[in-house]
Amino acid sequence: MIQAKGLTRRFGDLIAVDGLDLSIQRGEVFGFLGPNGAGKTTTVRMLASLIAPSGGSATVAGHELGREDRAIRSRVGVLTETPGLYKRLSAKDNLLFFARLYAVESPEKQVEKYLKMLELWDRRDSLAGSFSKGMRQKLALARALLHEPDVLFLDEPTAALDPEAAKTVRELIGSLRTNDRTIFLCTHNLDEADRLCDRIALFKSKLLTEGDPQSLKESMYGRRTVVHLANSKPGIEDELRLPFVTKTEWIDGRLLVSLSDPITENPVLVRRLVELGADVQFVSELKVSLEDLYLDLMEGNHGSA
Amino acid sequence: MARLKVLLLKEWRESLRNKMVLFGVIFLPIVMVGASIFMLTTGEAESDPVARIALFNMSLLYFMVLPVVIPLAIAVYSIVGEKEQTTLEPLLATPVTDTELFLGKALASAIPAILVNWISFGVFLLTTRFLVGGFLMQTLTLPWLTSIFGVSPLLAMFSVGVTMIVSSRASDARAAYQFSSLAVLPGLIPMIVYSAMKTLVDLRLVLLEGGLLLLGCFIVLRIAIRLFRREQILTRWK
Repeated sequence: MIQAKGLTRRFGDLIAVDGLDLSIQRGEVFGFLGPNGAGKTTTVRMLASLIAPSGGSATVAGHELGREDRAIRSRVGVLTETPGLYKRLSAKDNLLFFARLYAVESPEKQVEKYLKMLELWDRRDSLAGSFSKGMRQKLALARALLHEPDVLFLDEPTAALDPEAAKTVRELIGSLRTNDRTIFLCTHNLDEADRLCDRIALFKSKLLTEGDPQSLKESMYGRRTVVHLANSKPGIEDELRLPFVTKTEWIDGRLLVSLSDPITENPVLVRRLVELGADVQFVSELKVSLEDLYLDLMEGNHGSA
Repeated sequence: MARLKVLLLKEWRESLRNKMVLFGVIFLPIVMVGASIFMLTTGEAESDPVARIALFNMSLLYFMVLPVVIPLAIAVYSIVGEKEQTTLEPLLATPVTDTELFLGKALASAIPAILVNWISFGVFLLTTRFLVGGFLMQTLTLPWLTSIFGVSPLLAMFSVGVTMIVSSRASDARAAYQFSSLAVLPGLIPMIVYSAMKTLVDLRLVLLEGGLLLLGCFIVLRIAIRLFRREQILTRWK
């Protein structure tokens, strides 16, 4: 659904997006993660054919960027960080305006469908300027969906919202997942990305890594078992001599063991520890958060995966 | 064409709900027409037909001012309003073309200005005829009619073009309004020339003005069209 090769955008001497390669499938929820100023919005603007790339090529919804821009714009929906609504127009008039610009076949029906879906139907005649932030973002989401786009670009959709409104919008995004619609989610909310996305890319002008969240964590950190021992026995790790153990370390009196398949290897590990005289209290898997991965990559603690 | 119509209707719907715009579009014509009629029916004009003809001619000049001033408010709020509400990006994300967007903004300002000017002119003529009599209508010569129906739309377009350029560079409506007001001064030159020549409005002079304004419109609108490219709007506009 989205294919990009060497996509680049320069602003004078600044390279905002540097040789981005992407391949995103139909129906996929793709998280595009990076800090402020990383070039996420510039990437969205290029892929939505709002600005031209300085180099590289891309196809979006089967149309070539730079040659079929109008066709791309008619097949993608964009939700910007700020809702960007006409405050002096009612919720319904805001949507009708965009439905007509997108040449939606039955604008009134389509507007009604999305106002009802996003629970704004009762407020359809209220001015958009009178809406709360969460309601405005929901209305903006309805606007992005009116023409049933193949690709939905969501640029920091919950960044300006309070936790409750953010939760509502996040749930809505989750409910938009269909087999036909690709969602490109720009965010620096890692929890949001972890929960919603099939695949994520970490980006800071360049693509740092991409993959599904769990595989990325495993590829960078492996799988690690934490063993709580009643009697901390320094040096016990050297006596383990198990072939599947790749690394051991002590953290806060707990033994951290890196291995590849905890399901089959943990029982062996525990037996060996008991043989060596250790009193095992708890055995658990060390959960690595997406935040750890993100921070390590952004701070350059790991090479690209 | 369908999208252009959608854009125009949205602009007008928004303008009708903006008190500042409504004030700019309605207040000035009422004041100018009212003041003209008042001058023609009171004081020296009441007893002196020559003075009345001179005042009538001076009043006609107002209909060369209105098309310059009326579009200012609409164009400023149409563009700066989009910036303030951050609605430009969602609008640019639609299949609307740069030309449709430009024409939508330009015509949404120019059409009401031209129509309000002509309606004001009609109201002025009817009221004058009713209160003063038909003899003043003899003063309404071909050069005047050409000015009001031919040159004034060009003045409106020139004013719209200048305002669009200024508004693209401004982030505050009041600042845009002030700068645009200064920039439309060249559009008022015909009025100054007419004033200097008193009642002698010559058709050649009117046609010369029309030609110069046409050239001015061409230059100003060309610059405005360049500024109205998606790329420019998203990366260069303040």
